[in-house]
Amino acid sequence: MGTALSRWTMAYFTAALVFLMAAQTMMAMGYGYPTVAVEAPETLVLVHTVTIGWLSLLMCGALLQFVPVLVAKPLQSEKLVLPALLCLLSGLVCLLAGFLHLAGAIETDLPLLPAAATLLPAGFLLVVIVVARTLWNVRPARLPLPARFVAIGLACLAVTFAIGALFALVLSGLLPLDLRTEGLSIHIAAGVGGWLTFTAIGVSYRLLPMFMLAPDEERAASRAVWRCGILALLCFAAAPLERLAGGFGIFGPAAAVLALAALYFYGLDLVFLYRNRKRRKLELNMKAAIGAFVAFFACGLLLPVAALTGTLEMYSGAVFYLAAFGWLTGLGLSQLYKIVPFLTWLECFGAVMGRKPTPRVQDLVAERRARLWFALYFTGVAIGTGALACAVPGLFRLASAMTLVAIGAIIVELVVSRRLLNLPERDSLPEGASRPRLFLPSAR
Amino acid sequence: MTTGNETLADAVERALTMVIDPELGESVIDLGLIYEITVEDGVAYVEMTTTTRGCPATAYLKEAVQSAAWSVPGIHYAEVKLTYEPSWSPGMMKDAARSRLHLA
Repeated sequence: MGTALSRWTMAYFTAALVFLMAAQTMMAMGYGYPTVAVEAPETLVLVHTVTIGWLSLLMCGALLQFVPVLVAKPLQSEKLVLPALLCLLSGLVCLLAGFLHLAGAIETDLPLLPAAATLLPAGFLLVVIVVARTLWNVRPARLPLPARFVAIGLACLAVTFAIGALFALVLSGLLPLDLRTEGLSIHIAAGVGGWLTFTAIGVSYRLLPMFMLAPDEERAASRAVWRCGILALLCFAAAPLERLAGGFGIFGPAAAVLALAALYFYGLDLVFLYRNRKRRKLELNMKAAIGAFVAFFACGLLLPVAALTGTLEMYSGAVFYLAAFGWLTGLGLSQLYKIVPFLTWLECFGAVMGRKPTPRVQDLVAERRARLWFALYFTGVAIGTGALACAVPGLFRLASAMTLVAIGAIIVELVVSRRLLNLPERDSLPEGASRPRLFLPSAR
Repeated sequence: MTTGNETLADAVERALTMVIDPELGESVIDLGLIYEITVEDGVAYVEMTTTTRGCPATAYLKEAVQSAAWSVPGIHYAEVKLTYEPSWSPGMMKDAARSRLHLA
């Protein structure tokens, strides 16, 4: 159906993993929050290394490969994918260097933040064009539900980088505005809630049935997630405007209630998919994903409890950490553990399929070993969340060291799978099979 | 279709057991991905599907089925048609493959 391998997805994944390791190293060394304040430039370095460097690059790479699967149409404007990556990488380097300059760590007269405010939106815009054009290609048919989640995710990404660019200009002194209160909440809600979470939910609706052989028809609960989720995002966006206009303050609570409703329906869907799967024996990626889903629902429980008890400010760091590392990173790492070997298999053996005997995708991985690393990772995240909630920075650094080791080991497992090192016949591949490069696309 | 052609269709089916779905590790025949095989005048016509619509392996699978069918002595050409009517479901798998995959 015209879909194939996305040439640069592995490069996006590799860059994302490098930034994830960098962020984990910073946390283990006590750089940024909780050692310094949430709004300190050091924390901005850490947060954007995680949200742009790791999570957004991961999501972009995954969408470039899986949006064609969602809509059964080939990727459009593929030539923009590499320029997008280069813009994102150079923009992120400028942004992080700009924050380091604000922190007094580097001395420079270069306009780093204005450069970031140009390069990052340019990179994201190119990704949006590629993905949106691919979705648009479905016309006149209606977009399948998972693809509609992605479309909303893209719109939220646009809002996030537009406000982010304004912030960069404000921080560099070029724009005399104070966006900190109202703009910041939209920036975070659109970025973490809309772009990262909404898109992840959409993609999960396709990946879960695919990997577990579960029913993949559109369900009423999924449509309820979609509707409640959109309304929640709209209310989140309206809440700061309402505050500025001196309204009654109903949009904030309404957004929270709607987000909880969406979470509840998503929970129903997940239980349905896991219970009704045909594949009784779960592979590691689907077992590890359960840890991510548990973290997601824990965030959903913690947020209203903190809001109702007036302790939101105290616990927001812990909840943000749990959302970023338990939910989004947990889901990302667990699915990378399946996707990377799958893409590797296709690159290596796709051309000889049907002509020569080939191994299975599962032969490229060693789940028994990797199971330990995922267990270590989620244990570290649980301890880290507790340490932030109880304000014990030393324990948080220890937990971050645990997750750093676990992620390092999972990356080694991914490299082992890409290098085919788990295959007994790795040194004598069938004629016509091509050994994949580590992260660059195979020569055409 | 003649008796000779029926034998050729059987031979094509045997050849397709070489084509393994990489994700599930079972042959396209055992998975029930091959809906129809007919042979007329030495040309094999295969109608097939994939477990997931739009799967990145689709083009590779289709090509692999064509190449395996074409490799059968007596087959001069193989034509493969991809269809999602009806869409594949695990119920289409052969019992042996279902039990190997621990399917419910």
